[in-house]
Amino acid sequence: MRRRRNDVPLDRDPSGRHLPWLVAIMVYLATLALVCAVELSRVAVRWDTGLSGRLTIQIPPPNDDEATKPPGGQGALERVIALLLATPGIISAEVLEPDEIARLLEPWLGAAARSADLPMPTLIAVTVDRNSPPDLARLGREITAVAPGASIDDHQAWLGRLRAIVRSIGAVALLVVGLVTLSAVTIVVFATRMGLSVHSEVIELLHLIGALDSYVARQFQSHVLSLALRGGVFGLLMAVLTIFAVWSVFDGRFEALGALVRARGLEVAAVAVLPLAIAFIAMMTARWTVLRTLGRMP
Amino acid sequence: MVRFEDVALRYGTGPDVLRHVSFHLEPGSFHFMTGPSGAGKSSLLSLIYLAQRPTGGRIRLFDRDVHNLSRKETALMRRQIGVVFQDFRLLDHLTALENVALPLKVVGQHDAKVDRHVAELLAWVGLADHLHSYPPTLSGGQKQRVAIARAVVSRPSLLLADEPTGNVDERMAVRLLYLFEELNKLGTTILIATHNESLVARFRHPVLRLDGGRVTVTRATAPVRPDKGSAA
Repeated sequence: MRRRRNDVPLDRDPSGRHLPWLVAIMVYLATLALVCAVELSRVAVRWDTGLSGRLTIQIPPPNDDEATKPPGGQGALERVIALLLATPGIISAEVLEPDEIARLLEPWLGAAARSADLPMPTLIAVTVDRNSPPDLARLGREITAVAPGASIDDHQAWLGRLRAIVRSIGAVALLVVGLVTLSAVTIVVFATRMGLSVHSEVIELLHLIGALDSYVARQFQSHVLSLALRGGVFGLLMAVLTIFAVWSVFDGRFEALGALVRARGLEVAAVAVLPLAIAFIAMMTARWTVLRTLGRMP
Repeated sequence: MVRFEDVALRYGTGPDVLRHVSFHLEPGSFHFMTGPSGAGKSSLLSLIYLAQRPTGGRIRLFDRDVHNLSRKETALMRRQIGVVFQDFRLLDHLTALENVALPLKVVGQHDAKVDRHVAELLAWVGLADHLHSYPPTLSGGQKQRVAIARAVVSRPSLLLADEPTGNVDERMAVRLLYLFEELNKLGTTILIATHNESLVARFRHPVLRLDGGRVTVTRATAPVRPDKGSAA
């Protein structure tokens, strides 16, 4: 049986040697960008979920004039706790022990965090019913009324900044994927034009024996598809290996495997489809370039 | 089948290669075309196989004006024309078998049956032992026979041959001319450009004589099929 062979000898072109490597590098970068964006997004969602439904109420330490009063403004604390427990939508209110606050501050203040001279605010961790949360503005006013200077933090400002950062990183990842795609298209356009020029005599002969432009285009598109697929799959494998290596170094264990197993099907599919998508785009670009170039000929 | 009316051809800003060329090849006819080197025989053939467009006059092929053909229509019309190029134009990276099968592959036929048919044709032109040889390994005469096999493999309605016997011995030349005659009997219109006057004399078909960019048509003194060979 005759081996199927391209009528246009594109296998011998320099593009045949370089295109798979270029596509591999592009798919590698795009995969890393996508995985970073997806992972950050998942971390943000975890933090968002963990912090929503929680409030932190901070009662400032007594000032110098009040130093002789009972520590922590006990009266204020009791009033705030009573108010919280009486408010619909509040599930629990837990006062953080001074030791626990010191432990939270220790990374920034060091041993000084445990100093008795350091004025510490009283912190209350409040769990809110997510289904019927209280009116935070009203709750804030009521708390200020019973404990002047107290503040209520629903973490939304911090979460908002986090979401903005994650959105920005996601946009940058998409930009990287877009630029990679654009680069692939440009490279394929130039490689195809070069191929058309180098093999002009063969193409002329094919035309003279009755080949349609689409027949010539198929020669190029199947060649480019094959090269881009090879490069794309290699780039993807390299990216997966890199991700494993990075996670392994950071975790000191093979947690990357677990992370991939935990990954949602859609995310895995998005990464797996990337080389296929790039290869498809490269193929269609080659076809379009050939048809457009030949179509301009008399 | 082929009608030239006052056709002229010029390359770029150079002089006219052909001028005031008018003739008509009827379907099923067999013509030789002769003339000195540089008379424009290859150029005239290139106009017929649509590699060039005339700079003047009008050409009709298969009852269609070639001026208005789209690229697709041009390709479809070329499928009805077999061409033996003077320089063979074989693809060096394909075997003799693959080169000959190319016109069939282009129209979507490529299977074992095609291979058998192509192999038989190559055997007929004496290349049974070279089915899988690449053109660079073939002699000039062998390449010419591959080129002829490629031109006739799809049973074209019109066969154009530019010096098809230039690189083969007299015996093979006669054999190839018989092949063309067989095709002609099946209805293919044949136009052969040649310097080989003895071959022209032997087969006695009408002759288009090209000289100084003009064509004159001489009828064969004793045509093989006077009912078919005619020119105007």
